[in-house]
Amino acid sequence: MQSASAEIAGLISRTALRDRAAFRDLYGRTSAKLFGVCLRILRDRTEAEEALQEVYVKVWQRADRYVQSGFSPISWLVAVARNHCLDLLRARKPVSEDLDLALEVADTGPTPEQAAVGSGERARIDGCLDQLDGDKADAVRGAYLDGYSYEELAERHSVPLNTMRTWLRRSLIRLRECLSA
Amino acid sequence: MSMDDDRSDAGHEDSLLVAEFALGLLSAGEHERMARRIAAEPALRAELRMWNQRLAGLDAQFEEQAPPSHVFSRVEQRIFATRAAGGGWWNSLALWRSVAMGSLAVAVVAIGVNVMRPAPVDPEQFATQLVAALQSQEGSGVEFVALYDQATGSVRLTALSGEVAPDRDLELWYIKGDEPAVSMGVVPLDQRTEIDLDATAREKFGEGIILALTLEQKGGSPTGVAQGPIVAVGAATPI
Repeated sequence: MQSASAEIAGLISRTALRDRAAFRDLYGRTSAKLFGVCLRILRDRTEAEEALQEVYVKVWQRADRYVQSGFSPISWLVAVARNHCLDLLRARKPVSEDLDLALEVADTGPTPEQAAVGSGERARIDGCLDQLDGDKADAVRGAYLDGYSYEELAERHSVPLNTMRTWLRRSLIRLRECLSA
Repeated sequence: MSMDDDRSDAGHEDSLLVAEFALGLLSAGEHERMARRIAAEPALRAELRMWNQRLAGLDAQFEEQAPPSHVFSRVEQRIFATRAAGGGWWNSLALWRSVAMGSLAVAVVAIGVNVMRPAPVDPEQFATQLVAALQSQEGSGVEFVALYDQATGSVRLTALSGEVAPDRDLELWYIKGDEPAVSMGVVPLDQRTEIDLDATAREKFGEGIILALTLEQKGGSPTGVAQGPIVAVGAATPI
């Protein structure tokens, strides 16, 4: 029996061959995850619904690129969603936001789909982030998971912009060493 | 390997820029410049792949939330609305037979064609040449390179020497946009193949067209529609 990951990969490749039933199946299995990505980054339900539609149109259009991407199937889909939402964020007019709304959501433990992300990669990045100071690790996570800009991160951590840039760049150097080990 | 070793400052800086690019931290202008550099420099592409793969370990933390039920029909409308209600071509067919990928004993050796090189081509002066690297789908080990020459109207296919199970054949398909896949016939593994395109295919062939290989019974799919699993797929780019 195929793993969940291999099944998703199969659905993506059948989508590349214009199999509409496979595309519907792919949506059914992955849209909750990608909606979660859009909601977290955009922080607006209406925008997230609109973005989700655009994301799956991109998935349909780019399904043939998955093979060369180097991602696991779920992570490729997440990357399409994340990148699309980041593009939308950058295009937004700046709005003063209540940063208290952006508190980390409590971790309720991995669902089967979350487990399909790959416990190996998850352990690797978590382990390397744990080696950083807590606020530096939070900044990296904030950039990836919440799409925070340098400005937003500086505000969240109450430091000047240049300090945040330095923190993050030093953290990325250390991360790279750890991730290549 | 310490970052303090003899790596040049350019290497340091580039690695950081790629990481910031992956995290979405660059300004719009910086992001676009970096995107172009990444497209042009294989070392940066490799660096980006590394960062993307490692950072993707955080994806487990995105929580799932069920979207409203109307969303998918809107997705289909966006993709298919302009097409005639044909689309059911795939839906009426037998679904893919599941073939354990591990049972495909196809070993292929990559030939050295640089399909990533973005060479400028003046379409007025040169016949359009497109190349597609059909890359292996999970586990199949099948890889091909296909070359299309508009001047001759033919597609040349080169595989890597290998074996398909004796009761199977590989069948080649082209897919343009959202239209159904069209067969280009059975393709032998052990020799270079040249396929002359008919007028319809020549009209459709262009950048971005997708070529795919499926594993079919001997002689190819009898229905004119792919029945077996996809073992390799790639998109054509100009060379």
